[in-house]
Amino acid sequence: MRVLMFGWEFPPFQAGGLATATLGLVKGLLARGIEVTLVVPFAAGEADVPGLRLVSTAEPRTGLRSIRVASPLQPYAGAAEYLVLSERGQGPSGGSIYGANLFDEVARYAEVAARIAAAEPHDLIDTHDWITFEAGTRARAVSGKPLIAHIHATEYDRCGGPGNPEIHRRERAGMLAADRVISNSAMLRRQVMNQYEIPGDKIDVVHFGIDTGRESDQPDALPMAAGRPTVLFLGRVTRQKGPEYFIEVARRVADHVPPAQFVVAGTGDLLPRVIERAVELDLADRVHFAGPVQGPDVDRLYRAADVCVMPSVSEPLGLVALESLRSGTPCIIPKESGVAEVLRHAFRVDYWDIEETANKVVALLIHRELWEELSELGLKEVRAPRLGLDRAAGKTTAVYQAVV
Amino acid sequence: MPDLCLYYQVHQPYRLGRYRVFDIGTGAGYFDEDANRAILRRVADKCYLPANRLLREMIEHSDGRFRLALSLSGTLMDQLEADAPDALESFQGLISSGGVELLGETFYHSLAALGDAEEFQRQVELHRRAIERHFGVRAEVFRNTELIHHDAIAPAVAGMGFKGVMVEGADRVLGGRSPNHVYRSASAPDLRLIPRNYRLSDDVGFRFSDRRWSHWPLTADRWTDWIARSAEPSVHVFLDYETFGEHHWAETGIFAFLRELPEALDRRGIACVHPSALMSREPADLLSFPTPTSWADVERDTSAWLGNRMQRAAHERLYRLGRRIRAQGDPILLESWRRLGTSDHCYYMSTKRFADGEVHKYFSPHESPYDAFVTYMNALTDLERRCDALPPRAPAPMGEMAVAV
Repeated sequence: MRVLMFGWEFPPFQAGGLATATLGLVKGLLARGIEVTLVVPFAAGEADVPGLRLVSTAEPRTGLRSIRVASPLQPYAGAAEYLVLSERGQGPSGGSIYGANLFDEVARYAEVAARIAAAEPHDLIDTHDWITFEAGTRARAVSGKPLIAHIHATEYDRCGGPGNPEIHRRERAGMLAADRVISNSAMLRRQVMNQYEIPGDKIDVVHFGIDTGRESDQPDALPMAAGRPTVLFLGRVTRQKGPEYFIEVARRVADHVPPAQFVVAGTGDLLPRVIERAVELDLADRVHFAGPVQGPDVDRLYRAADVCVMPSVSEPLGLVALESLRSGTPCIIPKESGVAEVLRHAFRVDYWDIEETANKVVALLIHRELWEELSELGLKEVRAPRLGLDRAAGKTTAVYQAVV
Repeated sequence: MPDLCLYYQVHQPYRLGRYRVFDIGTGAGYFDEDANRAILRRVADKCYLPANRLLREMIEHSDGRFRLALSLSGTLMDQLEADAPDALESFQGLISSGGVELLGETFYHSLAALGDAEEFQRQVELHRRAIERHFGVRAEVFRNTELIHHDAIAPAVAGMGFKGVMVEGADRVLGGRSPNHVYRSASAPDLRLIPRNYRLSDDVGFRFSDRRWSHWPLTADRWTDWIARSAEPSVHVFLDYETFGEHHWAETGIFAFLRELPEALDRRGIACVHPSALMSREPADLLSFPTPTSWADVERDTSAWLGNRMQRAAHERLYRLGRRIRAQGDPILLESWRRLGTSDHCYYMSTKRFADGEVHKYFSPHESPYDAFVTYMNALTDLERRCDALPPRAPAPMGEMAVAV
């Protein structure tokens, strides 16, 4: 089977869940002997990055063809974020009206997709989130092959509400047009059914797998043994990820564990407000803003941390939790999240419950036995086949086969 | 025909409520009084009251031929007295029928036998007084928490005047011998050991409502046929009392099974015996328990309570604190400490097969074993601080009475 996939590679400065998820899927599919033509947008000015950035250099390359399309499209671009990028000069020049250029770019990308679909032989088209949905539908118009819409997160998740109506409309149109929708989690499937009125019987749930076969996955020595206890937030500093809750938790934790320090890794529109709040709470010398991190620095951060806290308001999956556990770092996840459907060996909290989150962070920092138990069993859990790339690829293949 | 020795364990712990690190030092209570009261009421209505009524009828209709043993933990008796006096009266009525023998155990259903030998004896004594007070009887036979037994425990049990102990008929202990005999303890020769027949027990305790089981639905006739097959002197079936109506709901037919039991036994000529009646039987052999054995989980050891680091840390911290609290002598702190010693708290911290949503999770009031640990350690920290804050006092006399906290 040959799959024409409109996916994502790692954006330059942040290992986002969407890129990791699609690339993990590609890796799993290749290992099962499925041929993949992966089409990804990449920003002009990044052209010097050699080759496709997969998870490691030791990937099976047989069966993979990659096509990069020069485009400023970003995986998490909502209209507002896109505008910020434009102003910074990272987007297309002359960004004018709110979000207008984003949709122009999506349309331009879809034109290219149609040309690729005409040239590249394939049996099936797979897309990942709304920005690629139009590319997928245009490609199908050319080739007539079945179309899959992978949904990783919706505008509703990103905005904590209905969000941009045009994006919402396009998400819905993309999922309606697809032959099958594959959702990251049961939670997201429910949301897609309720907020987008997509019939449940066309949505399959495939929790995506995590790559644990990498050399760098050996956990370091117990980090709490040395230095100050460290609590990590990693993710976009946007309302969806709940960075403000993290700062409030930090205050409560610091009251009980004075040497504790906190790291906020990532950037986003809430960063100024979060920094201000940290200063207000007299945490300026304990909260470190690491900015966007990439590559090996991400793994280093996980390993240096004693606890990773994910206070996401909305988390259709929650790759950070899996990555944290892969590094042997216990994590605290939202009860309402995709990972909560699959992970047993992680603390669960309501994202808004600052007291309870702080209670758990403190416990992890002061009770070594708790830390060791969660670290060991969490690591074991993410290494289990249940959360492996092959299981996810297998389930996805089954969906493909049903429509081809 | 073998005799049948039936024993049911009746126990409820004081479950902890939410107790966060920020609650330490605030005077907040550790235990979830509302939840404990609600659970007790539910279990009383679904299990204790109907099962007591049924057993009493069965005993009376059989002219006393149907008989069994019960053991009630002290934490259960205290909760019944406070919150379900109707159920306590119902137990009193059942026990006064004469068909029920009561066993001795630690008042707090604790792991004291593994943590503190002196405390173990005190808690057994407290339990002895409690069953005398509520039921006017004295136990001759002992059951330790969850049938935990060990050669090191046997002499202490014999020293307290018990003639026998209920133990788990674990394969590794029996080494090919049958559980359907009375044995002599290898470490206390005067003490008799009554091993549980776990297969026949689990048929009722676990498999009864399992529709995938080839023998479902289990009838009293079929089950007593299996007992009748034994050419050995006595079959020992030990279960949680909550099996009736709580673990298996009434809709599964568990009460009908129980009701049909006396006649099914009679038809096959199987007699019921009390554990104390087995004390005069000739022991088949010496039985040694070189390592602690219990009736919990497939491992049948103490790993259900002390299997992981968190559990061991909590257990050790509890007993370290216990020595200080006893020396300090404050009865309120002591009572709190002892309630924290109930084995269920450690059981909730088990991570064994947690990922499969196993039996530990089913019984736990906590979201996860990790939450159980955090709550427990926060409560212990608070108790330690309360102990630190009090001036030292003379130790209380042996067997101080329980007080409400």
